[in-house]
Amino acid sequence: MIRISTIDIVRTSLGGTGKLLPVAILITCAFAAFWLFPYDLGFLTQMLIMMVFVVSFDLILGYAGVATLGHAAMYGCGAYAAGLFAIHASPDPLLGLAVGAVIGALIAFFSGLLLMRAHGLSLLMLSIAITMVLQEIASKARDVTGGADGLTGISMTPILGVFEFDFIGKTAFWYAFSVLFIILVVLRVLVASPFGLALRGIKDSPSRMRAIGTPVYWRKVTAYVIGGTIAGIAGALSAQITSLVSVEAFNFALSADVMVMLILGGAGRLYGALIGTLVFMTVRHVAASIDPFNWLFVIGFMLLAVVFFLPDGLISLPRRVAGMIGARK
Amino acid sequence: MTVALSIVVDGIAYGMILFMISVGLSVTMGLMRIVNLAHGGFALLGGACAHVLTMRYGMPFVPALAASVIAVIVIAIPLERLVYRHIYRFSELEQVLATIGIVFVMIATVNLFLGSTLLTIRMPPEVSLPVNLGFKVLPLHRIIVIVVGLLMVTGLYLLVERTRFGIYLRAAVDNQNTAASLGIDTPKVYLAAFALGAGLAAVGGILGAELLPIEAYYPLRYMVLFLTVVTVGGMGSIVGSFIAALSLGILDTAGRYLLPDVGTIFFFLAIIALLALRPNGLLVRPS
Amino acid sequence: MRRLCAGLLATAIATFALGGAALAETIKVGVIATFSGPNAIWGKQFKEAIQVYVAQHGNEVNGNTIEFIYKDVGGPNPDASKAAAQELLIREGVKYLAGFDFTPNALAVAPLINQAKVPAIIFNAATSAINKQSKYFVRTSFTLWQVAVPAAQWAAKNGAKKVVTAVSDYNPGIDAETAFGSAFEQQGGTIVEKIRMPLQTTDFAPFMQRIKNSGADTVFAFLPAGPATFAFTKAYSENGLKEAGIGFIGTGETDETTIDALGEQAIGLTTAYHYSDVHTSDLNRAFAAKLGELFPKSRANMASMGAYDGAHLIYKMIELAGTDGDKAIEAAKGLSWESPRGPVSIDPTSRHVVQNVYIRRVERDGGRLVNREFDLVKSVPDLGFDR
Repeated sequence: MIRISTIDIVRTSLGGTGKLLPVAILITCAFAAFWLFPYDLGFLTQMLIMMVFVVSFDLILGYAGVATLGHAAMYGCGAYAAGLFAIHASPDPLLGLAVGAVIGALIAFFSGLLLMRAHGLSLLMLSIAITMVLQEIASKARDVTGGADGLTGISMTPILGVFEFDFIGKTAFWYAFSVLFIILVVLRVLVASPFGLALRGIKDSPSRMRAIGTPVYWRKVTAYVIGGTIAGIAGALSAQITSLVSVEAFNFALSADVMVMLILGGAGRLYGALIGTLVFMTVRHVAASIDPFNWLFVIGFMLLAVVFFLPDGLISLPRRVAGMIGARK
Repeated sequence: MTVALSIVVDGIAYGMILFMISVGLSVTMGLMRIVNLAHGGFALLGGACAHVLTMRYGMPFVPALAASVIAVIVIAIPLERLVYRHIYRFSELEQVLATIGIVFVMIATVNLFLGSTLLTIRMPPEVSLPVNLGFKVLPLHRIIVIVVGLLMVTGLYLLVERTRFGIYLRAAVDNQNTAASLGIDTPKVYLAAFALGAGLAAVGGILGAELLPIEAYYPLRYMVLFLTVVTVGGMGSIVGSFIAALSLGILDTAGRYLLPDVGTIFFFLAIIALLALRPNGLLVRPS
Repeated sequence: MRRLCAGLLATAIATFALGGAALAETIKVGVIATFSGPNAIWGKQFKEAIQVYVAQHGNEVNGNTIEFIYKDVGGPNPDASKAAAQELLIREGVKYLAGFDFTPNALAVAPLINQAKVPAIIFNAATSAINKQSKYFVRTSFTLWQVAVPAAQWAAKNGAKKVVTAVSDYNPGIDAETAFGSAFEQQGGTIVEKIRMPLQTTDFAPFMQRIKNSGADTVFAFLPAGPATFAFTKAYSENGLKEAGIGFIGTGETDETTIDALGEQAIGLTTAYHYSDVHTSDLNRAFAAKLGELFPKSRANMASMGAYDGAHLIYKMIELAGTDGDKAIEAAKGLSWESPRGPVSIDPTSRHVVQNVYIRRVERDGGRLVNREFDLVKSVPDLGFDR
């Protein structure tokens, strides 16, 4: 069982050619998906939004090593904030994203003050409890949120006044992709920065980081706020593109899915988050449309196979295969 | 006054059910330190088995309960040998992924054979009779659950604290290598403890089914509830789980009596406050 | 000259071929529902009922072949519902949408059907306000107002004076509480207490105590069918409410798909609802027989009936208006027919089904429990549309 050391990760993410190649691959993939699956843009857009969401969780779990099961708190708040802003203040999509981001950050900050002091099981439970409280509030504030029926009446003006949301979902697809792309670029810079290195250090050994004078708690709160901001953006995207927000945005199952997708792809690697989301959502979509009754078997065995044979996640597959071929020679 | 009494009695009765359904998890997760999200899966298998035995084959409740628990243990043993044994060594996150995978497979299996509707377990009709305690009416089965719960917590306490098995188990969890070098057969100890956890999960699933009915998605529907009890109880402590379950039962019941409109918010805020003050559970002081 | 002839011939053939195609078109209907996860029963009931309808009536209308395409959204999930509708409309070119078990899933497609001018037939989602979001929505199920008001009227007429309402604390529950309360007070009764129970409630004992203390003679309950109803009815019978003389009236709690799981405790529960699978009519017997033949393990419930009548409505709309969405909606308004549940019609204003609401009591019938109808309120429209 070969584990990739932190040094390796740092080296790859700082590597010169490694900087441009993934960007090119990402854009190529987006164009390929757009041309190959013109009828599935709705589903692809959902996947892009989920990628934004999972990447935001990667910063928290994968880089800072903070395991929570309540990441939907920021997603849901971002979604409601963007939805309410569109209805009552301005239908401009970019302003709405900003509002979702700010609310996501605020929720993350205030809950983070408490959460980042906790560890292990108690951290998991606290994050679940906070999400439950928020969901219950959203469900009870029927006059504001529409309760279980969902928040309706969201309609958006064209993005930058030019790109109108169309019936087929082309604009929504490129809108979600652009947001994902920008966030990935920002996160890539961030994780390679001293702040990112400090996070990895905290993940490996908080006591050592404390000993060299790093304010461990505040670094973690900062990471949580950045993660929350991005999760808020993901929620806002979903609200704007679906034109509806439901209390399901706070579901425990959503937080759990995000964690599963991330570990599946490979936590602590931005592209691991993307691959995990891609594989999980595709398998679920395909398996559920072939046999909705038994698709859980497929997902269940897939998770077991990955955890037993690819402990570093799907992203380590090429390396493992290469390793096996190398060993045979 | 009557309200206070009602809260305490209903709360204890409910808390005892919470203890029953999560005691298996306090063994696997609390004592053995595996993030065992598949706990509800064993309860589901036990409940499904009891459903088939009592409804399809007309077996009386008590033999069906015994047979179902044995069946779950029989399933758990090879599962431990083949799968869980490797999971012990995994990091916490990998344990999450692996046990979620296992629980998905369990759900899909029950769904395949029995569908996704409620799977009732037939009990003798006497257990649902209301019993008048003078100040309060309580269904007989709640009284049975209270008695069984008390027996269970006493038995487990003695098992873990007073028997050789308990000492071996605690030693094996604390330091596997040292325990092994002292001649403790750690794989066997783990196997026994795991089978115990699975069996208890089945008992809890079946006895708790009067309140939390068994259906294919049971393990996911109540996962938060199981985790709450074990977290508030604190890792490694059966007595802690017991006290946590009773406190949570009383807390939840009090919320429903006094603040019914915001009961859920009250319940989770109380848990947040509690965990903020005592992050390692009720009985363990913050280090 | 010869070239011209050939050209003309080709054009003629092409015209003929196109004309022929237009005559025998395949009209696709997209069904969006939950086929996986804990709520998979909805999709299953929808699909089976549609298949029964097709088995009874064939798959052709005016020479057009009707094809149903099913899409799973895995539960209440508006994002997935919208994506599924987009895919159905763009890739499959469906001319009708149908299904919709949960309210948010229906609401999410409103902007799409407005743009595409495609009718969407709702088989379940029971919030009155949905039909206001698009003029292309038609509903063949029920609304809470439609069944809770007759429940209140019947209760008032049959001796209930003081009622406590106990509902799950979410929109359908609040709808039921308001509808029942206003109708009951109109009849001169008193609502002594309104209890809202959190959706996550697993132990209903505290609420039973409050119901007892309220001094009411009857409890009106609304809970989602499944575990919550199971635990509630259990608590009702185990905490001695029956013995204390507190009557029970509900709506869809005794759904046919979960009623047998409720067991003996359910016997005697009274509910007001629009469909029971033992409704006595030849049409219902024929429907039940066909369902039993095709799906021996299945039992019809309100979801089956919503889908069965929905399929009928779609056939009718295609017969009258083909694939023209606007015309089809106009054609649907005021349609009336005899359904297995009894006489039904589509109200032109609310585009919602007008139907009888039956008062039923749970009884044992051989090896199973049934909702036996013993009274009815005739031709009830959606009473919540104008609120």
